[in-house]
Amino acid sequence: MTRFQRFPTAPARLVLAWRAAALVAAALIVGVLLALSGRDVFVLGELVLHSTVGSRFGLEDLALFMTPLVLTGAAVTVTSRIGLWNIGGEGQFYLGAIGAAGVGLYLPGPQIVVLPLMALAAIACGMAWIIVPTLARAYAGVSEIITTLLLNFVAGLLTYWLATGPWRDRVTGALASSGRISDAIPELWGVVHWGFPLSLAIAAGLAAIMTWTGWGYEVRVSGANPGAARYAGMPMRGRVIAVMLLSGALAALAGMFEVAGTVHRLQGGMADNFGYLGIVVAVLARRSCLAVIPAALLMALILDAGIVLQTQQLAATAVLAITGLVLLLIAIGDELAHYRPVAPASSTRSGVAA
Amino acid sequence: MIMLLTGLLTTAALAGGVLSLAALGEALAERVGVTDLGVEGLMSIGAATAALAALASGSPWVGLLAAICVGAAGAAAFAFAAVVMRANQVLCGLATTFLGLGLSATIGHSVAGLPLPVTFTPTPIPLLSSIPVIGPAFFGQNLLVFPIYLVLPALLHILLFHTRHGLNMRAVGENPAAADAVGVPVQAIRFWYTVVGGAFAGAAGAYLSLAVIPSWSEGMVSGRGWIAVALVIFSGYRPFNAAGAGLLFGLISAIGFLGQARGWPIAAPVLNMLPYLGTLAFIILPVVLWKRMRRAMAAPAALGAPYYRSVR
Repeated sequence: MTRFQRFPTAPARLVLAWRAAALVAAALIVGVLLALSGRDVFVLGELVLHSTVGSRFGLEDLALFMTPLVLTGAAVTVTSRIGLWNIGGEGQFYLGAIGAAGVGLYLPGPQIVVLPLMALAAIACGMAWIIVPTLARAYAGVSEIITTLLLNFVAGLLTYWLATGPWRDRVTGALASSGRISDAIPELWGVVHWGFPLSLAIAAGLAAIMTWTGWGYEVRVSGANPGAARYAGMPMRGRVIAVMLLSGALAALAGMFEVAGTVHRLQGGMADNFGYLGIVVAVLARRSCLAVIPAALLMALILDAGIVLQTQQLAATAVLAITGLVLLLIAIGDELAHYRPVAPASSTRSGVAA
Repeated sequence: MIMLLTGLLTTAALAGGVLSLAALGEALAERVGVTDLGVEGLMSIGAATAALAALASGSPWVGLLAAICVGAAGAAAFAFAAVVMRANQVLCGLATTFLGLGLSATIGHSVAGLPLPVTFTPTPIPLLSSIPVIGPAFFGQNLLVFPIYLVLPALLHILLFHTRHGLNMRAVGENPAAADAVGVPVQAIRFWYTVVGGAFAGAAGAYLSLAVIPSWSEGMVSGRGWIAVALVIFSGYRPFNAAGAGLLFGLISAIGFLGQARGWPIAAPVLNMLPYLGTLAFIILPVVLWKRMRRAMAAPAALGAPYYRSVR
């Protein structure tokens, strides 16, 4: 009988095969549940295809969803390279939005000057938001998972307070929203703005830094084998701090793009789980900054399909449940990819004995 | 002054019970070496199930029981992936949270925002409830409050630290290979205590929607599950500390409520930040201030690591 043995590494083709199986299983489970609730799955499937890749609006939506997902996904990916989890992307996204909106609302000037300042303010705010968990991790060994996450709730409340309080819209009286910000990222194709190609370029740039620079090499070694990195005299603490700050900056930049490219206001709840979904994107990308792009595309497809489900009297959060299901099955699939069949051990042993 | 103190402690005991219950369950799972980051989702789905079941049956106890079953079932799904299949615990926990938050909003859609007619109402215990300050807070409320702070922590403490089975549980969390070598069923203990922990999270959700708020609405758990996970670290994985930490954070929320009721010149969203900022301070400060405490309060050595028999 063939025996399956666990290997420390998982070859890419096995990972891809198990993931395809996981996605098919997730689609089957969702399809059966939808059919049980009395909906025509095939009509729904056609609607989903049309509203994602089958129409111009669908493609524009995909690009708009992808823009923040690439950045929040890259934010989690860079920390995972050094063996850490930044679960605070949602909060850093909000802080980026706050920084960008603050500059956009209160700093007059030509767009060409204000837009870069908005980005810089966003990056500064995002880094400030992650500094406490970073230092606690680097100097006291406090798990960054819980500390980064707790700040998400604080950031959400801070955004809500600003949007309903000091920065509220006094012109149109829109609910839980700041005034309109006139400085906008120029559009490229329909409603798709320049933030989309820029986010792709950032992901590619990060991949290059991680692969080809000494800094990236030290980050990778520190994550893969902390003992070896310390023995080789690499400044681990400095690398941890730099990587966490970079991560905060990336998630915050997603918030800036969303404010200046899509929403044009600061709104309560505007992060819309993009920070959390960045974790899913990073998991799908398996620590590769370049793979973040196709991973974000898959996540954007799921989100876009979710909009169709909402028109079918399903709660908006059903898509969150589907994402959870996909993540759970993929986590199982990734573990199964470590197993490979080996020659039956018993027969070789008896062969030696004979 | 006594009136104010009694009022604060009563609110704290009521609001903190959610965190205490969830933290007790999470402490169990983490003691056997499993980090269950699905608490937030399990609480959410427990809260929604409890509201639906209580409305349908007319009894809050049926609601509680249903929530416990759903919490355990959700944790069983998590444990299947994270313990049986040995998939990454952080990912499986996040996936469980996404699933729980999404499913609860979907099934609870029909009762969202409705005030619930059947809830856990205050039932003062004779004599005990007339003790000044702590009487009304622990014995003058609904019948779940004093079990959460006194009975359950005592039971779990005895189980963990005064029974042979408890010793096995802790061995599984500290050194599963050694436990396995002397015949302790590592995987079974991890699976079932993760399920029991999930039952606690479901109960915490029911307590939230049937006794604290009392109503179901999307997003009502609002990070309480994550605070509970943080409290387990803060409590050094000890049941009485976990329950006490829940009460402490109930007190922080109670101060926020008091501020809102008295019209302090601080905006409500800012007061609502207090529990999160408090939790952050409480998990960072002790580690920084008392370095010697680190060893005594350290996490189980095998926490978060799947157990493979072949690589011992």
